[in-house]
This record gives sequence, C-alpha cells and structure tokens, in this order.
Amino acid sequence: MSTNSHETNVRCSSEAAKSFVDWYYRAVNDGKPVAPGYVNGHAAYDRAAHPPADICVNGLVVATPQEFDKLLEQQRQAPKQPDPSKKRVRYEAEAYDVHVINADYRLGAPQKMLDLHSPTDGVRMMMALSVTGTVYFGTGRNKDDDYWEKQSFHDRFILVPNWDALERPAARGGRRYLVVSHNYRAN
Amino acid sequence: MAPPTGPRGGGHGNRPTVRGARGAGVGKRRATPRTDRDGDVSMDSITSAKIPTGPSAQSTRGGRGSRGGRPSRTSSRFAQNVRNYVSEQDGASRNPKSQFNKVFIKIHGLKDSKAASNSDGGLRSLLEFLERKSSHERPITFGKGFIRGDHVWLKVNQADTHHLLKLNGFTFAGAPLGIQEAAGPIPEQGSTDDPETKTTDTKDKLLAVLASRYNVEQKLLDLSALGADQTLRSMGAFENKALAEKSFKALMRLTATRYDSAAEKEAAIQAVTLANNDILDVGEVFTMAQTLPRLRRLDLSGNQLQDFHKLSKWRHEFRLLEELHLVGNPLTNLSNYPTQVIEWFPSLQILDGHRVRAAEEAAEALKAWFPVPFPRLPSNLRDGENNVASTFVANFFTLYDHDRLALVRQFYDAESIFSLNTGTEPATSPYHNFSRNLETIGVRSSSAIQRLLSGANVIGELWAQLPATRHVSLEQAGEWQIDCHTFPGLADPSGQGIATGLVITVHSRLEEVDPTKQLVGTRAFSRSFILGPSLPGAPHPYRVISDDLSLRAFVPQQTGAPAQAAPAAAVPVAPSAASPPVPPVPSDLERAQMVLELSKLTGMNAHYSELCLAGLANWDFNLALRSFEEKKAELPPEAFVAPPA
Repeated sequence: MSTNSHETNVRCSSEAAKSFVDWYYRAVNDGKPVAPGYVNGHAAYDRAAHPPADICVNGLVVATPQEFDKLLEQQRQAPKQPDPSKKRVRYEAEAYDVHVINADYRLGAPQKMLDLHSPTDGVRMMMALSVTGTVYFGTGRNKDDDYWEKQSFHDRFILVPNWDALERPAARGGRRYLVVSHNYRAN
Repeated sequence: MAPPTGPRGGGHGNRPTVRGARGAGVGKRRATPRTDRDGDVSMDSITSAKIPTGPSAQSTRGGRGSRGGRPSRTSSRFAQNVRNYVSEQDGASRNPKSQFNKVFIKIHGLKDSKAASNSDGGLRSLLEFLERKSSHERPITFGKGFIRGDHVWLKVNQADTHHLLKLNGFTFAGAPLGIQEAAGPIPEQGSTDDPETKTTDTKDKLLAVLASRYNVEQKLLDLSALGADQTLRSMGAFENKALAEKSFKALMRLTATRYDSAAEKEAAIQAVTLANNDILDVGEVFTMAQTLPRLRRLDLSGNQLQDFHKLSKWRHEFRLLEELHLVGNPLTNLSNYPTQVIEWFPSLQILDGHRVRAAEEAAEALKAWFPVPFPRLPSNLRDGENNVASTFVANFFTLYDHDRLALVRQFYDAESIFSLNTGTEPATSPYHNFSRNLETIGVRSSSAIQRLLSGANVIGELWAQLPATRHVSLEQAGEWQIDCHTFPGLADPSGQGIATGLVITVHSRLEEVDPTKQLVGTRAFSRSFILGPSLPGAPHPYRVISDDLSLRAFVPQQTGAPAQAAPAAAVPVAPSAASPPVPPVPSDLERAQMVLELSKLTGMNAHYSELCLAGLANWDFNLALRSFEEKKAELPPEAFVAPPA
C-alpha cells in the first residue's frame, strides 16, 4: 500500500477530477479558451524549467495549448449554417476515473508547500485522469439536441498541482491543478 | 365564436352528425361537413384548379359559406383518423413534461347518465358539472377529459384533487358518479372504440401504400402522383389540399416508425420521388426534410414550383442531397436557376441529369455547414529508443487474454493501482459492481474508495472474476491506436529524486463472453497505463503504476454470423491458482440435468428451476440452491410441482 492509494488522496483526487472535468468541458462547449488550464506559462513551472504540456490530438502532436484552442475554434466553424442549433460542437463526459500516480509530487514546488503538505494531505498529487463520452457535431447547446454527427471520445490528462494558486488560496479563479499531458482520441 | 359543442354543431345543416360515436373527444369538435357527392377529387385536380385552400377551407368556422370542394363523409372521417393518429403521436412526446404535479382521476358513471346521448358522449356537460360543484373556494377548471371505455379520465392539478374527490357519489344527470385517483397514464384508446379501430385501419392501409411504393434495390420510396393512387383515392386521403398535406404528414410519420434507428432509416431510404404531385410550394411536404434529413436523391420533377421562394423552405435541409430533379417546374426557366440550387444544396452533384459539382467540391462545400471532427492519425509512439511501450503493449494484451496471473506477477507490485469504468451497464453486467465511474457513483461515495484496487494480489483477484477476453491481434495495426510519451515528475522508487514516467493510451476492441447469457460480443475499450521504474529485484526494470480501463457498451455478435467462429469455449479463460476459477460453461445436456436435479431437491417445477439456475446463480448449482433457500418464502404457489415439504 502506497500513499497513492491513501484514503485522503483518493477522495481529494476524485474531487479534483470532478472539478477539472466540470471546468474543462464547460469551457470547451462554451468556446472559452482552455490554455490557462495547462502547465505552460505558469510561473512556478517556468522557474523549474518544466517542459511544455504534451498535447496529442487524434495522433497529432500540438505544440502549445494556445494552438489547441485554435484547433477547437476551427472545429466550431460552420460559416454557412444559419441555424444556431446546428452550429455547435458539444462534448458530453459520460464517465471519468482518476488515479493518484505520485502523492509526493515535488517538481517546481516551493519549499513552503513541501513543508506544509505531507504526501497524505491530498494536495501535492500528480494524477492521471481519463474521461470518456460523446462529442456531437452540428448540434445545439442542450443535451438531447439533434445533431449532425457524433463520435465517442476518450480524453486522458495528467494533472499536477498549480503551485501558484495553492500558495495563495485567497486568489480566486486559478485552477488548483494543471495539465502536463493531454491525449485525445475520438472515433 | 364559442367553441362549437356537440349539439350545436349537429344542428347545423340538418344533417346527422358523424361524431355521434363515443370516445371521439380527442380531436377538435367540428360540425357536419356538407357532403359533396362528386367525391373523389384527386390531389392533382384540386391543386391545379387553385381552389382557395389552406386549413380554413375545411373548417366549419371559417369556411361555412366558402366555395370549393367539401370533403365527403369518408374523407372527413379519414381526416379525423389522421388527426387522431397525429395527435396521439404528439401527445406521446409531450406527456413526460406535462405530467409533473398532475394527478390522474378516473370517473365512472357518465355512460349511465342521461347526458351520454349527447353528441360528445356527455363529456362536456360532465366537466361543466364537476367544475361548478368543486369551485366553492376558487374557480377550478379541469381542462380536457378523455373517455376510455366506461371511464372518463382527467389530468388535474394536485391542489384541485381533493375538491374533485369530494364529489364522489354525487348524482350527475340521473347517475351516481364514482370518482377516484388512478395511476396514470391515461390508457390508449381500446380497440373496442370505434374511431380508434378506424385509425388503426387507416394506419394499416397507409403502411400498405408505403410498402407497395418502396423499392429495396434502389432504396427508393416512390411517392410520385399520390393523387392517382388507387388505395389513397378509395380512402379519400388526397381529396383536397389540406387533407393531402395531413395524409402526407401521416405517411412520413409512418415511414419514420418503420425503422428502429436513424441510421437504419438512412440506409434504407436514400432516394424519394415526389414527381407529378402538383406541389406548389415544398412547404406542403416540408416534413419529409425532418423524416429523411440525409436523403441522397430526390425527384421533384413535374410539379408546379413557380420560383425559388417556393423551394426556399428546404434551402437549409437535405445537406447530403447529391442528385435532384426539377424538370417540368416553372422555376427551371428562371435566369439564376442552376446557380441558386447548387448554392443551396452543398452536396449536390447532379441536377436534372447534369453533373454540376465534383465529389471533392461537394465535400468541401459541406464543411461550411457543420463543424468537422479532428482528422484521425495512426498511433503516435514516442517511447524512446528502447521501444518500451511497444514491447509492453504486445506482452500485456497477450498475457491478459491467456494468463492474467502471470501478467500481474510480472508488471504489478504492491503499489500498482487498477480500476475499470463503464458507461451505463445493466445490473447483470459482470462489470457493474466494479465500475469506478465517478460520474455515476459520485466522488464522495464509499464505492469511489472501494473500487480503486491497490496492490498486485487484489488486482489479480479481480481480474480472475472478469469475463475472459480476446483482444484484436496487434498485427492488425489499423485496429489499434496507441499513443505514448515520456514525462517527468514521478517519485523515484529509492525514495529520493524525481523519475521519468511513460504514459501509454491504447484504444482498440476486444471479444468477450457475457457470462450470464453465454453470449459472445465485442467491446471497444481504452486502456491507459502509467509506467515507472521498478523497485530493485523486480522482473522488469519498469512496472505499472496505474492501469485504467474504460469499456464501451457490449455489442452482441449476430448469431449465425461468420464471426461466430469464436464460441464461448474458444475464448481463453484466465486461469488463476490464487483465486476462484471462472466456472466452466455447462453444455445444454448438463444444464438439463442441473434443472432436473434442482427441481427434485426443491420441489420447484422445471421452469422455475431453470429461472433460478440461469439467473444470478449463473449455472452454479450450489449458488442456485442457496438463492432458492433465501427466496423460498416469496415464491408463488405455481412455482412448485407440489407444495414444498
């Protein structure tokens, strides 16, 4: 039994997964950028010279999360479609599951965080999250809206603590965990 | 004008009412139409004669004095049937929303009252009576009532219920009323109800028309010259324009109900001809765009479409239409004729027999109309020079199919974590109790903790309980998508420093036996691994830190299909010494013996014995016997050959 399956970590990782899934798919469905949720450009990781997040979409390696946002934006384009209920791309997460893969995550961590949180606190966690669901193309905003085409998708994220946000818990709006690896497949 | 109630409508024109039958309260109330002895006017002649049409021509209210073809008695009954059919369908789709906070009430006694001889069966007078009597504190209305057999059904607000129930036993027009709450929904009209029989009859006739006009080879539904169709003419279905539109709508609805899924419908009907129907505006047949949105070929030739405006209701429909015929319509003489049509239908390649667009151009034009999925590329393996991922994956799936225990010993240790998740699986699914789908079990549930398995032994035990599998061969590279890359940040097993990990995501299919039904089927799956350095002394330099299996829905294989070459016994069962073995699959003969034996021991008859064995026990004799002992008291007497000792 390792700290990865410590009860507090299991519970905290499940809650972090839920929060991430809620945020990510809402942002994608609303056409908002998801780049801020990736590790790139976050001060603590820049200082630690962390490599940029690895993003692979249906086998295509995407260099930056900004570029991924651009791809999502392009995917949403349907310039001739006059009907807003046939223009959208809507992702619906139907199942997700998360594992803690390193409960003693240290990369880029400020000493303060290492001192403050032990590996069983449910904070310094590196997590592997997988999400399966259905993506609808040419559809409306709501569940059960008619669609033009659909695919099953599987998203795989590796999440790490957002040290900048954890250090200043009062500062709202920052995501508590950031994506270092994202693999997307749909068919 | 006040809504025409039964007697008043009947009194007009000194003609007997056609709505005398009971139970016809669903449709709008209408006065007797004057009968036109000319009768069978085809859709052609009506539309080309430009008789003032639209719904009002038929309506008692608007069109009492108007000229034009009055529907014959047959046609008005037909219209009622079509309406009943259409409103039934609408009602069915609306029901779930409107039932919230509503209570169903069943009232007995109307049939025995004097009001029963009213043209509407006395329904309206009864409702007025009930509203009057219950509106003591505040005015109460009950909306629509439905006569079903001997009862009147109402759907009323919860708050009004007790006012209504107080009237139980009141006398209405000479008959005592029995009023009680009932479990919804309001029953379908029974076959004893005369108008409903006719609706069914109409439906059958329309279905026969559809069947006779369908060409399997060409996947073509021939709806040309409907006004000249013998069956439809005899039904009076296309006597005037309003009726023709309704009949067409009914035909479309029936077309839709013939297929189980949109995909099946799309595959079966790829072409429709609506030629020679004297269509003035495609709005008349608009529903076809909703019923057959993915139509490939459409023939509208020989109709009366004057200009583009008459075609414009379909300009955003039929996005996959490849071939269109408009010959014989006045709009083909307009100067912007082909350009406008090509612009409106992005997939159009052949117009009136001429090629107007190449297939590639059409595909490009369609992209402007709908969002397009990301292109799919093959596996993306970035696992360094040693090809760790390729080697691991090849080993893993071979061993998972043949020897799960050996697999667990090789690559898993006390710190490895495994969980699986499925979408919505039936409770009988072997995965149901293990699925760690946080979306459905909730992040704070105890299952979220229990269903996360930690340590090689526990994982091995679970695997031994899971159905035997056979993965698609890795040689079929097209069937597998394997993506992987390395990443920093794992804990080094020495306890000091940071190690590099490998994340592998695998997507493919597997064959599996559903143990409850002994059914072979396939599932798509995604399996993700995190590999990291092993502890000293392990068989491999790396181990599985995390293994996460996502399974898609089980798709049973068609019986008799060639793929049946993989019967239950051919799928390897993972042997495991440390855990209970998967029970062997008994043959039919063995099953029959088990049924006999159980019947002998329990006194249950053969049918119940078989149910008991085939159910949860899954042909485990001892389990079946145990479950019998538990459920004995609940079993009905007919479960036994003789009363149990």
